[in-house]
Amino acid sequence: MAGVVVSGRFPRRRVPRAMVKNVARVLLRGAFRNWLRNLATTAPALGSMTLLLLLSGLVGVLGFALWSVAQTETRDAAVLHVYLRDDASAAQVDQLRTKLQADRDISSVHFVSKDQALALARKRPGLPDLARASGGNPFPASFDVQVKRLADVGKVDSAVRRAAAVDPVYPTSYDPGAYQRLTTMLLWVAIVGSAFMLLLGFVAVTVTANSIRAAIHSRRDEVTIMQLVGAPRWMVRGPFVIEGAITGGTAGLVAGLVTLVVTLTVVSAGGSSFLQLAPGLSIAAAALACGAVFLAGLVIGSGSSVLGVHRHLES
Amino acid sequence: MTPSLESKGLQPLVEFAGVSRRYGEITALEQVSFTLTRGEFAFLVGPSGAGKTTLLKLINREIRPSDGEVWVDAIAAHDLPATKVPELRRHVGVVFQDYKLLPRLTVLENVAFALQVTDLMITDQEAHDRALDALEAVGLGERSGAFPAELSGGQQQRVAIARAVVTQPPLLIADEPTGNLDMETAWQIMDLLDDIASFGTAILLATHNVDIVTKMQRRILTLVDGHLVRDQPAGRTGKMAWLAWS
Repeated sequence: MAGVVVSGRFPRRRVPRAMVKNVARVLLRGAFRNWLRNLATTAPALGSMTLLLLLSGLVGVLGFALWSVAQTETRDAAVLHVYLRDDASAAQVDQLRTKLQADRDISSVHFVSKDQALALARKRPGLPDLARASGGNPFPASFDVQVKRLADVGKVDSAVRRAAAVDPVYPTSYDPGAYQRLTTMLLWVAIVGSAFMLLLGFVAVTVTANSIRAAIHSRRDEVTIMQLVGAPRWMVRGPFVIEGAITGGTAGLVAGLVTLVVTLTVVSAGGSSFLQLAPGLSIAAAALACGAVFLAGLVIGSGSSVLGVHRHLES
Repeated sequence: MTPSLESKGLQPLVEFAGVSRRYGEITALEQVSFTLTRGEFAFLVGPSGAGKTTLLKLINREIRPSDGEVWVDAIAAHDLPATKVPELRRHVGVVFQDYKLLPRLTVLENVAFALQVTDLMITDQEAHDRALDALEAVGLGERSGAFPAELSGGQQQRVAIARAVVTQPPLLIADEPTGNLDMETAWQIMDLLDDIASFGTAILLATHNVDIVTKMQRRILTLVDGHLVRDQPAGRTGKMAWLAWS
């Protein structure tokens, strides 16, 4: 018998480089190696997460577009367009302008001629066709009236709609129920969207936690030995958390890129009616959505791994 | 039941003070008290279900006692938070009946693994050298590149012992380490453990092997139905051994 090491003959060299190397080996290399080894068992979780994150990304983009619409509508709701008769005289128009400018509820009045109205219409999807079909300029001149308070728009409308210069058929843009309907719709969209996102998040967390449970089970012996020889808790749990982050990050990256491509496709179709409904969409918004989906994947993956490890790895 | 170690100037390495452990309605250990000193080799015997494994698990803080105190190398295992458990386990080497070697790692890597996961400052070269040193100590230096499946049961148990002592813990606990081995191999393992104890590592070994327990003439702790019924000092075996029972 050669004897057993009682006091080590090797001096301890506390080399930071060795520590970095060991941490990298245990946490990163170990996690990547095991992730690749367990890919077959992780694949369903990876697929589910990718799909869920993609849905979340698209719902998020849609939500952002609706939010942009709401912002625009809120801003526009305090602007009253007062449409003028084509045969209104200059005196009648001046009289109306004077009346509007004298109103204390109004902050500004801007005249839009028929030519300017036509030019604006040409920038809107579908309206150039209407302009061409009519053979002339069907758009009336108008006053764009900025009302100080949203609540006073109805009062200003009542005051001007019977003026001599105002078109009797379609006097103003005032629609008392439009803003309320939009707000109600957005509220419901927010509620349904949030519930949907919560459901997706719950499913993603459950799926990932289950895949981590499978990973822990497959490495039960290694984990047991690590625990019994006194490996620090972070060293035992860390690789599983990183495995979860890799799963979530991969799913997030794929879903984020698909979200980016879909959003950019919509943005590139600049004249489409969809973009008109979703004016907030841009390349920056698409990149932001991609980044958010990737980040969500990382957070959900590592977070659900922490939960799974906490639940299935006992000291 | 146990002599006062403090009065002899000895610091106990392991101390059980009125320890009970219950699993629901079942009592696995009841008011067990004993101490183990540094370098002491003791057997833990008793019929199946007597509480031997429970006692070993209490030392390694795999479980907590329902009552009483468990001290291991001045660490209060009975009151240890989960975050501090790894610290305790670095003081305790563990050997199992089924070896628990990692099949994908070589023998050397299995031993080095214990060093690398407990000491982040250790270099690859140092881990390699120390693991090889431990393997040579158990007579397996020549097989360091082999995988566990390529070794016999006795050789695998030697690797497990090398892994348990490579971090130089003051205490080694072994749960039926010869349970899967033939008598000749079992004696080789016992010689190895005896050698380890002679270098100052305390050993507490749970076993059913009466032949080994009788011939080794070491201290014997006997558990029956969770009660420590005998604490027989070392060297007191034979027909008149009962005279030494405390």
